[in-house]
Amino acid sequence: MNTTMVNIKINGDNHLAPLNATILDACKRAGIRIPTLCYLEDVSKNASCAVCVVEVKGAKSLLRSCTACVYEGMEIATNSARIRDARKTSVELLLANHPKDCLSCLRNQNCELQSLASDLGVKEERYVRTKKIEKCDTSSIAIHRDPNKCILCGRCISVCQNVQTVSAIGLSGRGIKSKISTYMEKGLGNVACTYCGQCALVCPTGAIVERDDTDSVFEEMSNPDKYVIVQTAPAIRVGIGEAMGMDPGSLVTGKMVAGLRKLGFKKVFDTQFTADLTILEEGYELINRIKNNGKLPMITSCSPGWIKFAEHFFPDLLGHLSSCKSPQQMFGAVAKTYYAAKMEIDPRKIVVVSVMPCTAKKYEARRPEMSGAFDYWKDKRAWSSEDAFYDVDYVLTTRELARMFKETGITFSSLPVEEFDNPLGASTGAAVIFGATGGVMEAAMRTAYEVITGNPLADINFTAVRGMEGIKEAEVDLNGMKIKIAAAHTLKNARTLMEQIEKGESPYAFIEVMTCPGGCLGGGGQPIPTTWETRRKRAESIYAEDVNKPLRKSHENPNVAALYSEFLKEPLGEMSHHLLHTSYQQRGLLVWKTNGAEKKELKTPHHA
Amino acid sequence: MDGSRTLEQEMLEIDEVISRYKGKHGELLGILEESQILNEHKFLSEDALNHVALRTGVPLSRVYNVVTFYSFFNLKPQGKHTVTVCRGTACHTKGSRTLLDDLGLILNCKKELDEGEQFFTTPDKQFTVTTVACFGQCALAPVIAIDGIIYSNVTTSKLQMLVRRISKVRKNHENH
Repeated sequence: MNTTMVNIKINGDNHLAPLNATILDACKRAGIRIPTLCYLEDVSKNASCAVCVVEVKGAKSLLRSCTACVYEGMEIATNSARIRDARKTSVELLLANHPKDCLSCLRNQNCELQSLASDLGVKEERYVRTKKIEKCDTSSIAIHRDPNKCILCGRCISVCQNVQTVSAIGLSGRGIKSKISTYMEKGLGNVACTYCGQCALVCPTGAIVERDDTDSVFEEMSNPDKYVIVQTAPAIRVGIGEAMGMDPGSLVTGKMVAGLRKLGFKKVFDTQFTADLTILEEGYELINRIKNNGKLPMITSCSPGWIKFAEHFFPDLLGHLSSCKSPQQMFGAVAKTYYAAKMEIDPRKIVVVSVMPCTAKKYEARRPEMSGAFDYWKDKRAWSSEDAFYDVDYVLTTRELARMFKETGITFSSLPVEEFDNPLGASTGAAVIFGATGGVMEAAMRTAYEVITGNPLADINFTAVRGMEGIKEAEVDLNGMKIKIAAAHTLKNARTLMEQIEKGESPYAFIEVMTCPGGCLGGGGQPIPTTWETRRKRAESIYAEDVNKPLRKSHENPNVAALYSEFLKEPLGEMSHHLLHTSYQQRGLLVWKTNGAEKKELKTPHHA
Repeated sequence: MDGSRTLEQEMLEIDEVISRYKGKHGELLGILEESQILNEHKFLSEDALNHVALRTGVPLSRVYNVVTFYSFFNLKPQGKHTVTVCRGTACHTKGSRTLLDDLGLILNCKKELDEGEQFFTTPDKQFTVTTVACFGQCALAPVIAIDGIIYSNVTTSKLQMLVRRISKVRKNHENH
């Protein structure tokens, strides 16, 4: 495949560029940096900010390099007084309507507008505010929006519409009244939003952020009556180092554990323990469905954004979802039953904090049905509804944990390497790879194969389901029974597989769906920026950790085996049914109607 | 006025509109336009928008995007008569702001006007007052339009007279 190359001149120097490449890409190839704001590789090219403008000889006006393409003989200037002035003016105009509360903004020092203003040498406020103050959207439990900080770059809309096919948000109004809105301004909590948080991940400013729970967690930790324990998802160990200023993809499991202990958690446990548990439950569920003509394909249920997506967009296909709770929720249920009993701690005093790469996990923890541990105890101890508690009390994203580390003055680089606490800290390599797209599928296959065939796997690496391709498929031979499996990431790809099922054309027995691009390692709660390059680096670290683990199959986890022999008895047993499995709700699209009374939670921002 | 038409009937009529536009380029605009016209108060209710979105498969946020972009679409009930005040430069210098204030007083909607509403409709749904950037009739400034008919060189007393005449016609109509 030969790409036609054209000769262009950039700042007087001759360069070759592929025909129809954008000026921005051509300059990037030539090693020339052009500042951008609304542009985001693979996500959005809205040409709305006018920051990436360049001068082209013969053109009437400055051109936006993110959309204008090169042609033979094009002469481009990327750095002239005219360009610098135009870029600066564009940013100054955006700043006119931007609340200057950077010091108290969650994105302080990690804001593209802030750094651009600094890079372009903005020194004064030349323009006055023209927009009226808008109310903030705090209607959802996971994601908060402050339209006043929005610069209308459109990245969030692009990611929501094109990557996730959810369209929870869109542009409304026109001209000065343009803003990012939910349908009829109902707020994210009252529309079909999956809380995946990809919008927050791509937002250049603090207009879309995770709901901050750091203060609540600090408060719980300073309460002497509470026994505050923490669980960390697989993707945190490859993300938190990055959020603390280390290289993208840095694998910092031991330092993270040490840091969490320093922060004040009584016990530092691993969500990977219950990831192994999930594999056993889910593996047996799959085997059960295959043997008993159950509903196939069975689809994984670890990713709460995906679950909510299915409930909104495919309410008639919920029978395909595995009934297994996610590892986060299994952890909460096990910690407040098995662990509480074993350690003789009043489960009402245990506070389970999760650190997740995910904003939707905040929502998952607050689903009303996620109180299996309380249901387990309430009859035994004759507790009333006043004693009720959730299985998981707080969910922090990677970014929130980084903020807590910084707030307590923990410097990551000087931390020692420590081990997780037992028994809920032991895990296998199969659990680590939950953090990458295809990982749950691979982990499940490692166990299902050995359970069904009774033979050890010759090669435990199912490389066919690894990598960043949107939908990956493979065929697995289970003792002569061939099954087709698939792993999809992003909800757009999930939608494709669901439409196949809807038409009755799905060839698969088992499907893994991860909401976010790249899987959890690219989750909406991960460090900003998250690009394809950082996702690949995090994935490399995930698979490196898998190889480093002495045990790499979930059914070999000795602590999970002990959990079964001491407490749960058997996979899919009575106890598992109550504590580890769940059910789903047909939600549809008119969410505000089923939410009961419409929640009016729009608030005036504090910087108003 | 036909007050007997239920929501259900309106939705059936919208279904009919949707079936006519199915697969046509730009179907959403056409569907919304006709749906608004067939509404008794010439507006798109939330129920109508929900219905259009669910039946066409267009995301709700996209429908909202379209109806808030085009000023032609009304998200609030419209009065039986529409008074449009020109707020172009020529009309402004000739006192169109005063005319707008007058309408607020005459029609008892001053509060909404002061709150900066784009347009307002009287509680009895008889009048909707709205503004326009320019009618292109600057030589006759200030101009207003009532139900599409343009009136020139409008003064406060002329405005009062025009509004009163419409109200009277309505009263007579009701008395018979």
